[in-house]
Amino acid sequence: MTNYLRSFRVAGGIFALVAGGLSAAADKPAAAPAKIAPPTAPIPSPAPRFVQAPTGNTLGFAFMQAGAENHGVFKQFAVELQYDEKNLAASKLLVKVQIPSLDTQDQERDTTLASAELFDAQKFPAAHFTSSSITRRADGSLAAAGKLSLRGVTQDLTLPLSLKAAGNGHDLTGSVTIKRLDFGIGQGEWKSTEWVSDEVKISYKVRLVPAGPAPGR
Amino acid sequence: MTFRNTTTTWGTLSRTLHWLIVAMIVVQWSIAERAESQAGLEKLQSLYWHKALGMTVLMLAVVRLLWRWVNPTPELASVTKSWERALAKFSHLALYALMFAIPLTGWLMSSARNFPVSWFKLFTFPDLISPDKATYEFFHDLHPLLFKALVVVAALHVAGALKHHFIDRNDVLKRMLPFGRVK
Repeated sequence: MTNYLRSFRVAGGIFALVAGGLSAAADKPAAAPAKIAPPTAPIPSPAPRFVQAPTGNTLGFAFMQAGAENHGVFKQFAVELQYDEKNLAASKLLVKVQIPSLDTQDQERDTTLASAELFDAQKFPAAHFTSSSITRRADGSLAAAGKLSLRGVTQDLTLPLSLKAAGNGHDLTGSVTIKRLDFGIGQGEWKSTEWVSDEVKISYKVRLVPAGPAPGR
Repeated sequence: MTFRNTTTTWGTLSRTLHWLIVAMIVVQWSIAERAESQAGLEKLQSLYWHKALGMTVLMLAVVRLLWRWVNPTPELASVTKSWERALAKFSHLALYALMFAIPLTGWLMSSARNFPVSWFKLFTFPDLISPDKATYEFFHDLHPLLFKALVVVAALHVAGALKHHFIDRNDVLKRMLPFGRVK
């Protein structure tokens, strides 16, 4: 009974507050929103969007196999960068990689890599990276901290990014080394790192152009 | 037995290189045969050994050729007929050529397939050509074909050596045997 009465009183208080706010709004419209809910920080204006140019992009990977470095690329991937150098808080990096597009210039190795014991490309056809924060490092380059989802496993990853202005866009380059076993790439016999290294170096070179309607030519 | 060759017999280094390469070629063949029926990690390991050993054969072949150039070559027995000399010369030339050509086609095959060749995980040989499927298939066919040619010429070589030993009863075989003594 007491609880019921108290909640009735609280509801009444809210009604009074809203009514007061409404009457205040009628007097001084400009000041009213600040009185009701003062925002703690200015709402960030969206950073300009950039997407990769149709050509000139590479996403490569390299690993040691039987003593020699083996190379491959992902032929299909999508990169989107929301970037404002004066407002890194509003900047964001999004990457999507089509795993079945992997190419090491050897059919047998590609098939093995795409198989269930390695990438399991049929079950996990896409890998994603989404940044949660982009910061500037001492040398002026950027670091995109975020999460990489690969083969059903999501892990924290920081991508070093070098951005160079190119035309009205940017050239993005960098490389990062990840451990394949962290993502379960290597089941059964491929769990061994004696013949195929755990470390895989990923390198990227992306030509970013302003997003929006394609420039007519 | 001397380290260097003389005009009558092969020295220790020549004999060692000869028999070492023979043994390695036999091992190479058996690894390749086994790899044919393998897959995955097993095949990867077999091909690793095959390539590392094959490159060793190539390097030893270079040493052998250089050693032959800076050394006397033992002469054939005086009784050897001219057609026998011609056949011996041809088979030796062919054996040397194949000793280079087989590892080289293997190396080219690896490069064409974008599988760099490691030498016992110590260093990686540079790729000779850029990856290309058709080129790979060409060398993939040529490599075992040259091996078959090697088997045929080697059989001729062995037949010649045995003929010298058992029919002509001269020192031609003995002077290449690991512990063969020459009168």
